[in-house]
Amino acid sequence: MSENHLEHPTPKKYVQIAIVLGILTAIEIALYYTEDIVGVFTDPLLIFLAIGKFIIVVGWFMHLRYENKTVNRFFIGGMILALILFTIVMLERASANYS
Amino acid sequence: MSSSHAYPHEPTGVETRKLGFWVFLSTEILFFGTLITTFMIFKGSDFPGMKLTDVYDIPFTSISSFILLMSSLTMVLAHNALEANDQEKTRVWLLATAMLGAVFLAGQIYEFTEFYHKGFELSTNIFSSSFYVLTGFHGLHVFVGVVLLLALWGIGQRQKGLTLEGGMNLEFVALYWHFVDIVWIVLFTVVYLI
Amino acid sequence: MTKIIEPSKQSNIFRRPSSETGIWSWITTVDHKRIGIMYGYAAFFFLLIGGLEALVLRIQLSQPDNNFLTAAEYNAMFTMHGTTMIFLAIMPISAAFFNYLLPLQIGARDVAFPRLNALSFWIFIFGGAFLYSTFIFGTAGAPEGGYLAEEVGWLGSAPNGGWFGYQPNAGMKYSPGTAMDFWAIGLQILGIASLISAFNFITTIINMRTKGMRFMRMPVFVWMTFAVSFLLAFSLPIIAIALFYVTFDRKFGTSFFLVEGGGDPVLWQHLFWLFGHPEVYILILPAFGIVSEVLPTFSRKPLFGYAAIVFAGFGIAFIGFGVWAHHMFASAISPVAQAGFGLSTMVIAVPTGVKIFNWLGTIWGGKLKLNTPMLFSLGFIGMFVIGGLSGVTHSIVPADTQQTDTYYVVAHFHYVLFGGALFGIFSGLYYWFPKVWGKMYNESLGKIHFWLMMIGFNLTFGPMHWLGLQGQVRRTWVYAEETNLQFWNIVVTVGAFIIALSIIVFMINWIFSKRNGEKAPFDPWDARTIEWTIPSPTPVWNFSKAPEVRALDDFWHTKYTEDEEGRAVRREETDQILLDLEEEGLNPSEHIALPNPSYFPIVLASGLPLLGYAVIYKSIPLAFIGAVLLLIGGFGWGTEPLEEEIHEDSDE
Repeated sequence: MSENHLEHPTPKKYVQIAIVLGILTAIEIALYYTEDIVGVFTDPLLIFLAIGKFIIVVGWFMHLRYENKTVNRFFIGGMILALILFTIVMLERASANYS
Repeated sequence: MSSSHAYPHEPTGVETRKLGFWVFLSTEILFFGTLITTFMIFKGSDFPGMKLTDVYDIPFTSISSFILLMSSLTMVLAHNALEANDQEKTRVWLLATAMLGAVFLAGQIYEFTEFYHKGFELSTNIFSSSFYVLTGFHGLHVFVGVVLLLALWGIGQRQKGLTLEGGMNLEFVALYWHFVDIVWIVLFTVVYLI
Repeated sequence: MTKIIEPSKQSNIFRRPSSETGIWSWITTVDHKRIGIMYGYAAFFFLLIGGLEALVLRIQLSQPDNNFLTAAEYNAMFTMHGTTMIFLAIMPISAAFFNYLLPLQIGARDVAFPRLNALSFWIFIFGGAFLYSTFIFGTAGAPEGGYLAEEVGWLGSAPNGGWFGYQPNAGMKYSPGTAMDFWAIGLQILGIASLISAFNFITTIINMRTKGMRFMRMPVFVWMTFAVSFLLAFSLPIIAIALFYVTFDRKFGTSFFLVEGGGDPVLWQHLFWLFGHPEVYILILPAFGIVSEVLPTFSRKPLFGYAAIVFAGFGIAFIGFGVWAHHMFASAISPVAQAGFGLSTMVIAVPTGVKIFNWLGTIWGGKLKLNTPMLFSLGFIGMFVIGGLSGVTHSIVPADTQQTDTYYVVAHFHYVLFGGALFGIFSGLYYWFPKVWGKMYNESLGKIHFWLMMIGFNLTFGPMHWLGLQGQVRRTWVYAEETNLQFWNIVVTVGAFIIALSIIVFMINWIFSKRNGEKAPFDPWDARTIEWTIPSPTPVWNFSKAPEVRALDDFWHTKYTEDEEGRAVRREETDQILLDLEEEGLNPSEHIALPNPSYFPIVLASGLPLLGYAVIYKSIPLAFIGAVLLLIGGFGWGTEPLEEEIHEDSDE
């Protein structure tokens, strides 16, 4: 009743996506080893790459890109809530100082 | 197809069980979010003690991360095969996914055993506790996933084979499996690399 | 009359249960109405136990330096009172309402996942039983060399670290023995039940609405169910992890919350209150929903500002996630955090105020019928406002540091939880009594209940405001004579016993009316929403055919139209319409297939307490049996279709 089969990627497309994921992972590992060269950019880049892989798997493998917006809103809503709440907790703990 | 004979009226156009499953996955974000946050809070602590960075082996973990990533590919191929109603291919890819998942788990167990021998165990200190509970819960989820995949494979052996409807459903096991993978994507970066 | 169609072939190894009467039919039911009724009775039972625990506390506090209870027993009693009332009484009673009413109010036959619904109920029952088994199996040692190194009898062998389990007090060092393990694991199990319900209700509301039931035509009670389900879904996982950490600290040598191991006790507070604050909105929103149904009916006016009430409800839920650290103002958090959370706490008063004004606007100019449900709803408004005002005083950080850990706080939350949530619940119990049982309750007894409860409640919790400001400390088993607190403490205790008396009146009314009450018509209140269009008691199939909704308060518009001045005028055809509805409601013309009963929910649920005991006693055999039950339950369920196939030629 709801699946839009026309928008379903083919097996070939999936393999291509998997290759992209593999390349991103390889870059991540390389970054770990080249930390001295990349310096302060290492962590942000790593986070950026992880987010990229996350979006790719959720969007294409889990098909969220093609799903109904209700389902999308749930998942993204949960993510945003988690990000806000946990950022506040981490900031609060970081700012707490005991002797 | 609706899960209850009530009225086949799905006003949003999303299949009922799929909607329920995505709601469940959304709650898992909070679940793992708490675990990750705790890990990160303690990571920044200057409490004396052995840290993960003293014992880990990035090349090894990189390989098992790659394996888990590829298992998402085999999972999606299994789903694809079922949609084309190719029962045999479905079973092959299901088994492949389960195998890759099992290899990942074996890798985790090996890794944890190595850490244990170096003195980095659950109760050693807060760095180890938060590490093991976080990765342990992830591993537990992988284990449950492997069990579900094998169960599907077993059900697929029956004469009727697998369908896209029915209680134990490949689509939801697939969503679960991918979710377990994306949690690892975050974990690998946050726990090991950063 | 259409019978439920029997399964004609079995699709699994075990015979599908098929009884319609008797205890097996209740154990295997997946019918939302029966599940709702079971939730209601179980929750009420726990309400009584929680009430007894409160009375025992009040006897102890009626005299200074009393020794009716030892300190250890006192700690156990206030911990169990809070834990019971929150998790085993109010939440399950709300679940009873959600279960029974939600499908009826949206025109559905059942919830989205009927077996999952049964699973939630059985997990709740097993979780509650597990928690209370602490009185049989639990041990509560005194900490070594501690002030209270004394023998602890059975009454004290219960969780004693408060319902909020602050660390490190609730850790192994200061709470040795197994009592707090029963607490942590018991709450873990109960949390699973509520989490599962949340998925079920969210999916039901989104996907099972009948034709024409757009979101903005749903009754407010349904909207509140929706908001509560979001709160549950996103807050329970956080406390689940926190409780795992507690169990790991107590049982497996970790130090998440122990300073000497590098851990952080304040982290527990964050994680607990990240759940705990949304939890209090979980407790109050159902009552908001009930009151929003009752007030319009007995004011004979539509709800004032429907959209505002809906959005305010969600506003409260959303902001409710952003105020948690107001429980931590006295826990050495930074001034920035205090300011931020103080501000958000003030802000949350705004949508709450919006709702209050809308309720007042509903009553204003209405033709009020002051029967029992209406009295409780009006009482709700008054009592909740008082509780809300004391709550706002807490948002002012310097004031809060004076109020923290005093009886002022106890007064606040009892005004909102008892005067608010429980009054709302009683309003709903009387309001829907005819629909559920097909009988009318006794109105005189209802009024006696209300007035006794109103007086008793205010005598009990009113004085706590000034007792707190005069310095009576919470969670302490004695106060000294020199404090001069005794007089009002006696008043409080007397009030508590008056509450108990009012509950007895309620129970008498319930039992008597169920048996001998006047037969109820299907629309005794001339109400507005579609659950009143079907017979009383509700037939097992709910609606004979799917209702089609054309507007908000559809039933009202079926019965009434408006004159030029906007006043309601009963339509000529209404009497006939009502007769037709009744006829049709009792005699559905089509075959109706209902989800079949199932054993697997209770089987699966039974594995959880065993796993709990396995962790407490570190028993592998128990863990194994528990896991096996989970597996059998899970796989049996997965391979059993929701509805058995029906043969072409089987007939009713």
